[in-house]
Amino acid sequence: MLEVAGLEVRYGAVRAVRGASLAVGDGELVALLGANGAGKSSTLRAIAGALRPAAGSIRLDGQEVLGTSPERMVRLGAAMVPETRDVFPDLTVGENLRLGAFTRRGDAQGVAADRERMLAMFPVLRERQDQPAGTLSGGEQQMLVIARAMMSRPRLLLLDEPSLGLAPTIVQRIFAMIVELRRAGLTILLVEQNAAQALAIADRAYVMRQGEIAASGPAAEIAAATDLQQLYLGG
Amino acid sequence: MPWRRLALSFLLLALPVLALAGAVQFAQSLLLERIAITLCINLVLVVGLQVFMGNAGILSFAHIGFMGVGAYAAAVLSIPAQMKGMALPDLYPLLEGVAVAPMVAILAGVAVAALVAALVSYPLMRLSDAAAVITSFALLVVLHTLMLHWSAVTNGPRTLFGLPKATTLGLAAGAALAVIAVALLFKESRTGLLLRASRDDEIAAGAIGVRIPALRWRAFVLSAAIAALGGGLWGHFITSFSPKAFYLKETFVVLGMLVIGGASTVSGAVLGTFLVTLAFEGLRAVEGALNRAQLFAGQVVGLTEVALACAMILFLILRPGGLLPTAEIGALRRTRPESDR
Amino acid sequence: MTAFLQFVVDVLALGGAYALMALGLVIVYGILRLVNFAYGELIMVTGYTLFLLGGSPLPWILMAAVAVLMAVLTGIVTDHVAFRPVRTKSVTAVLITSFAFSTLLQNAALLLISPRPRSVPLPDIFSETVRLGGVVTPVRNLITIATAVVLLALFALLMKRSVLGLAMRAAAANFTMARMLGVPANLVITSAFAISGLLAGIVALLWLGRSASVAPGIGLEPLLVAFIATVIGGMRSLEGAVIGGFLLAFIDTSLNHLLPQDLLKFRDAFTFTAVILILLWRPEGLIRGPAAGRRT
Ligand SMILES: Nc1ncnc2c1ncn2[C@@H]1O[C@H](COP(=O)(O)OP(=O)(O)O)[C@@H](O)[C@H]1O
Ligand SMILES: [Mg+2]
Repeated sequence: MLEVAGLEVRYGAVRAVRGASLAVGDGELVALLGANGAGKSSTLRAIAGALRPAAGSIRLDGQEVLGTSPERMVRLGAAMVPETRDVFPDLTVGENLRLGAFTRRGDAQGVAADRERMLAMFPVLRERQDQPAGTLSGGEQQMLVIARAMMSRPRLLLLDEPSLGLAPTIVQRIFAMIVELRRAGLTILLVEQNAAQALAIADRAYVMRQGEIAASGPAAEIAAATDLQQLYLGG
Repeated sequence: MPWRRLALSFLLLALPVLALAGAVQFAQSLLLERIAITLCINLVLVVGLQVFMGNAGILSFAHIGFMGVGAYAAAVLSIPAQMKGMALPDLYPLLEGVAVAPMVAILAGVAVAALVAALVSYPLMRLSDAAAVITSFALLVVLHTLMLHWSAVTNGPRTLFGLPKATTLGLAAGAALAVIAVALLFKESRTGLLLRASRDDEIAAGAIGVRIPALRWRAFVLSAAIAALGGGLWGHFITSFSPKAFYLKETFVVLGMLVIGGASTVSGAVLGTFLVTLAFEGLRAVEGALNRAQLFAGQVVGLTEVALACAMILFLILRPGGLLPTAEIGALRRTRPESDR
Repeated sequence: MTAFLQFVVDVLALGGAYALMALGLVIVYGILRLVNFAYGELIMVTGYTLFLLGGSPLPWILMAAVAVLMAVLTGIVTDHVAFRPVRTKSVTAVLITSFAFSTLLQNAALLLISPRPRSVPLPDIFSETVRLGGVVTPVRNLITIATAVVLLALFALLMKRSVLGLAMRAAAANFTMARMLGVPANLVITSAFAISGLLAGIVALLWLGRSASVAPGIGLEPLLVAFIATVIGGMRSLEGAVIGGFLLAFIDTSLNHLLPQDLLKFRDAFTFTAVILILLWRPEGLIRGPAAGRRT
């Protein structure tokens, strides 16, 4: 579904991503691991079209999409959940969800069905529908942004550190949701620092270090590799 | 501090001014002399604006308002006593007998403008960039309103006349050189350095305890004082003027010079002033010729502004930093790579 | 009592116009974080369109519709000429390009039409007055109040209920995130400029009613009003713009009543002093506006 090759991302003089290549197959859950500052978010943002890479190639279903605008990427089926967990704080939970379905005008029935599905999956959101999203707790906001991304009915979900700053029990629940979404046929690229948990649910994994892909393989193999710690720290 | 590069920059910037003044002396042409004096006064105004905009990174519209304050304040003091009855019929009796030398009057005008700027601008310096620009625009309008209606000292919307013609080419050129030196020094001063650092990273600057509003305020007051100097010089060059000389049209022209040259550098301000002043004189001549030839039914007005507006928009699109965006002219050779961000 | 009623009508009529002017400026600022200095020229364009249509046999309301449409188009053109090419470069660059565009339009009017005021056609009702509970007031004032109420209500409805309104509010809070949900940047921006033009165009019809003429500099006062109202109101908040508009009208009208004749011509200076005092107390303006968010 997704093939990234030789990706370069620069911020001025900083080379955040240096020739990274990775692939995600149809229906796979792939984890992208790495220490803070390794370049994971930059990679994801480049795929989502939120920033313009300096070089490389990004293919979605075989079609080159490098440099495509973020709004077009959503229409092509790739939805992004950034690590900053950007709910629109002044809009209600319901309005946030409604915006998630922005690309699906003319499909009112489908949207309503998906909304039901999401509210069933995240019952707290149903209770808080008319509340400004800014008043939700961190975990609830994370659920909202995932649900909101799902409202565009994506084929590929780009998830950036969904566990960031959340209590362990909430993280458990969010990971359970991710597994459920994947079981329903969604392809997922999951960025995590929380390697153990991510590897437990992923099919395959890539490890990023200083902007490069330092290791890749089936999740079980990566988890078994004793030098995981070293890969992270750049030993 | 890069003293040597600073000195080199100053010399390289002084050279064209001196060359121009010398050439005019030699040619003995009144037209050329007029253009040269105009250019020197423009230099004062544009470099003065650069002191604030280049260091604080904030656009100020009030600049030409302070030029007006300087011009009027100087005029009130320098118009000869016997002219005052006619020129300023409503003048306060206290000021009626006052008539000082033009130079003293100009400097007093500078002091008045600096004082006004110091008083009104402090609260504005705390505003975020857009709000600061907007309020500076409002300040320009208010200063204009005062000039229009405070008849006692401005003769209202009518033309104020009777100023002694005191601005010679030597005086104007000397002032331009002094202002260029001040601007270069201010840029490298502690205030200037901190301001420029804070412009790039406000949060970091705040973190090390820099009080940005206070720094901006110093730059603003200095900038206003220089504008008033330009105003005083201009007033004693043109000898009669009305409030509309210190409004949006002049603001636009001065801003255009700065933007085209490059607001971040004093060298850019100087270069822009030279280019635009000369282009302007050319276009004015064309406008005048068109009007004399009477090709069109009415007067041709505004052509010059239309041309400058187009040039400014094109420049900002194609070369947003202006002609000299980062390095002063004396540092160009060694820091070439940095000049293209 | 009558004096009080007179005061209220004056404040509401002036405030309605001011609020609409401020709203038209803030709708663009809120989304792009960029100030449109060519905003006043939307009013000028409306005026000149009316003037040019003046001799035609069209019914007035049709001329007015065309004039407002021209303001909308000019708004969109402003985006393409002054904003889009430099949007990502610097805030100052956009300020200057829009200021240059404003000068360009004004001088084009100067060059192509005339530096002198030109009269615009207006319906008779604009110059009539009515008696209301002892107060004599121009009908125009009542029309202004009614227009402001209707437009503000429509605007609130659009922003709160429609998907486009939601998208614009979202874009104002976090432009990139809105785009990552599929909201096209250009749709939001063009809509903002179009709404800005629509509000300016309609306000222009009412504003022109005061002098029944248009000159190249006519946009300056509305621009200034919008500026001050938005700075008082808080720059980024739509409600703030409306509140700022009415507050400014309140200050202006109060000064009109309080100041002696010979000080009245300095009214703008007094208003500005009041604004400085408000800003000393609240540098961010009265209303904060949506949290967080950066420019595109
Ligand atoms: N907006 C930005 N501007 C400048 N540098 C950035 C920006 N975002 C990220 N970086 C730098 O790029 C590198 C990679 O960052 P990021 O992609 O966020 O890593 P990760 O998500 O793996 O923590 C870091 O060194 C970071 O400091
Ligand atoms: Mg990250």
